Amino acid sequence: MSDSETTAAEAPQVAAEAQDAAPTETPGGSSPTETPGGSSPTETPGGSSPTETPGGSSPTETPGGSSPTETPAAPPRAPGPRSRGSAQSGSRHRDARRPRHRRPRLLAHRDARRLLAHRDARRPLAHAPEVSTDVAPTRRARRRPEPKPAAEVKETQEVEEPPPKTPSESTVSQAGWGYWGSWGKSILSTATSTVATVGQGLSHVIEKAETSLGIPSPTELSAQVEEEEKQQASSPEGDASSETDGAVGGAMGMFSSLTSVVQSTGKTMISGGLDALEFIGKKTMDVIAEGDPGFKKTKGLRFHNSTLSQVLREAKEQEELQTAEGEASDSEKKVVAHYGMLFDEFQGLSHLEALEILSRESESKVKSVLTTLSGEERLQLRKELESIRESFSLVEFDDEDVDEQKDEDGSEFEEELTKALDGLSVSTTAGKLSKACKSASSLISEMSRPEEEAEAGEELVKKTASVEEVHAAAIRSLAELTARSIELFHKLAEMILFSSGSTEAGVLSQLTVVLCREISLLSKKFTSCLTTAGSNEKRDVLNPLITGVFLEASNSASYIQDAFQLLRPILEISHIQRTADSAEQ
Amino acid sequence: MGRQKEDTVRQQGETERGHSETEGGHSETTWGDRMRTNIKMTAAPYNYSYIFKYIIIGDMGVGKSCLLHQFTEKKFMADCPHTIGVEFGTRIMEVHGQKVKLQIWDTAGQERFRAVTRSYYRGAAGALMVYDITRRSTYNHLSSWLTDARNLTNPNTVIILIGNKADLEAQRDVTYEEAKQFAEENGLLFLEASAKTGENVEEAFLEAAKRIYQNIQDGSLDLNAAESGVQHKPSAPQGGRLNADSQPAKEGCSC
Repeated sequence: MSDSETTAAEAPQVAAEAQDAAPTETPGGSSPTETPGGSSPTETPGGSSPTETPGGSSPTETPGGSSPTETPAAPPRAPGPRSRGSAQSGSRHRDARRPRHRRPRLLAHRDARRLLAHRDARRPLAHAPEVSTDVAPTRRARRRPEPKPAAEVKETQEVEEPPPKTPSESTVSQAGWGYWGSWGKSILSTATSTVATVGQGLSHVIEKAETSLGIPSPTELSAQVEEEEKQQASSPEGDASSETDGAVGGAMGMFSSLTSVVQSTGKTMISGGLDALEFIGKKTMDVIAEGDPGFKKTKGLRFHNSTLSQVLREAKEQEELQTAEGEASDSEKKVVAHYGMLFDEFQGLSHLEALEILSRESESKVKSVLTTLSGEERLQLRKELESIRESFSLVEFDDEDVDEQKDEDGSEFEEELTKALDGLSVSTTAGKLSKACKSASSLISEMSRPEEEAEAGEELVKKTASVEEVHAAAIRSLAELTARSIELFHKLAEMILFSSGSTEAGVLSQLTVVLCREISLLSKKFTSCLTTAGSNEKRDVLNPLITGVFLEASNSASYIQDAFQLLRPILEISHIQRTADSAEQ
Repeated sequence: MGRQKEDTVRQQGETERGHSETEGGHSETTWGDRMRTNIKMTAAPYNYSYIFKYIIIGDMGVGKSCLLHQFTEKKFMADCPHTIGVEFGTRIMEVHGQKVKLQIWDTAGQERFRAVTRSYYRGAAGALMVYDITRRSTYNHLSSWLTDARNLTNPNTVIILIGNKADLEAQRDVTYEEAKQFAEENGLLFLEASAKTGENVEEAFLEAAKRIYQNIQDGSLDLNAAESGVQHKPSAPQGGRLNADSQPAKEGCSC
């Protein structure tokens, strides 16, 4: 476990880099715009964007409440219940134009949810490592809380060494940070530098929490998987399927090896860490409120309804913009994988938009039906709707609920998918999804093929498997799988709306669980590939890439879960129609 | 430049297909091949200035999905499955020197989907209303489709009438003149096209785009309106003319 200490030592280093980076960027006299989302057509996103000005970043914030040991003493729970309340009110408030509000709020919300989950006694401790390794990045990733510093790092690099001359380290790290940065810009486009410091503090906390639990770094984790995979794959048959099995087996091994660690450290540590996160979430809010005059201005609009597709669209636009610029200035940056853009390429955004339309219309139909009813009828319907609602709110998507001993590759996923979708007549879309999944699986097994197998003619292929390429493949696969999942939910919504049969919420939540688990599994396999490909790379090159994959995986999972939630009004109106139909007969 | 763009788009489509075809036995294409395409795709140029939302409507089997496929992939899809709800296609075109991304919503023609597909009309900048020149019934239903289109979109939505299957001259059931007159009476653009040969397919999408662009230029289409169906991209190189639109119009989903 000595490696994990090294990682921990590096974390502040990265943070320090970001801070160092901050002052070098000149605000350039550009006046910070306060119009949220009011980017003028002339705006250039390069480094001159006024919103990026890191004017007075206060580095003292960073270590502030970041030590996990402090955290149990600081458990302000305010953000949690509040955001839960807003979630229950039905509409999910996500305003693309006010990202800085969304971030802490959502963070707090998710944390609160997880906090509850983790305090729940029925959750076996043995699954805890999964929480720490996978969910920690998840939490960090929610709505991209962290990328602000990343964006700064990247920009500074651009300032200091405009065209990276070699495709070596600097490029690599740019690739990794680059796309973080793009998210950073889009999501935090109006946030001021205070956010950066808080963000660092947050990552710091997570890192610390990880180390104090004795949890290895992402690199280490995937290395472990790799090792165990090798052991298993050393058996004679080298065909793809057995390799995939090997990878999964390896992942299994990882969990069991971690179990003991966590059992000894115990639950209090974890919930302590979560308290810390929640605290940070709250603190972020406060700091933003204090440090940003624009906050008050926009506060009134805060609950202005916004949609998931809007958020994604904004993110994607920023990425496109960056790509367009990057192309002109820097051909080396081609490898940068843009999740949002890829997601759109697979029509994920369009399907999401369509799903949102259906969801919104159903929601308003349900409301209007409720207003037309009175007395007993209304009470009865309310009760029925409540039970539908419950089955949507009680779903726990975390991996811990799933039997980890289960082996999975593309085909097993397909099986489960078919089972979950039995009788829902969306086979075409489900087929697309399975294909996407299988293609990702085969990509992984090809990439993780041992050196010797890449014989004549394939040597070239093997050589091109650089970390950036593996990373790009990972991001692309995640984007495709997510887009197809959203498409599936959209198709399901359509089928539910025009068919008179009843669809159980339980089936849909099961489907969501299957999808999220697949995403998580894929991300683990890809990071293990990354570790293999990057065995000669420096840690600070590899780590951001690995974290990036985990980040996108957790984002994927939350998009899928959000899409699942969009189905609730659709089931409600379907239920109402069905009831009305049977009453007529 | 426009040519180049088309190539890119086509290539993307092909790549995606290539992906799905080879995923089973990964012996045909190497990982490296796929990776290179990935990278090329990632670096594809995205510097368009506008996004227009289009819908394609019309009876079942008139060839809506085939028109879209021909437009985005430059290929004829012989046995096209029935569309469920809505499917999507995108392509970047050059309209009066501006790069425009068309986001096309290809709706299902089956009557049973009508209630669901009506939801998707909102916020369309352009509507392609398609009938089959060899089946008069599909032409006779146009008034119903037109009513929906008028009621569910905004007044500035450009509607173009398309008589598909123009290659099947021998089986023609609706004359050009007749349809032309219908289009003129209702203020629609009109073209006869063939998804099979590709004749007038490009033109149909382009004509509508030109009209939309014209509406933007003369100010009759308000980009800031939520339902305009046009999204202006502030990023792209632009003349100063549209600077007033500092707030990019969000597409149909800004409530």
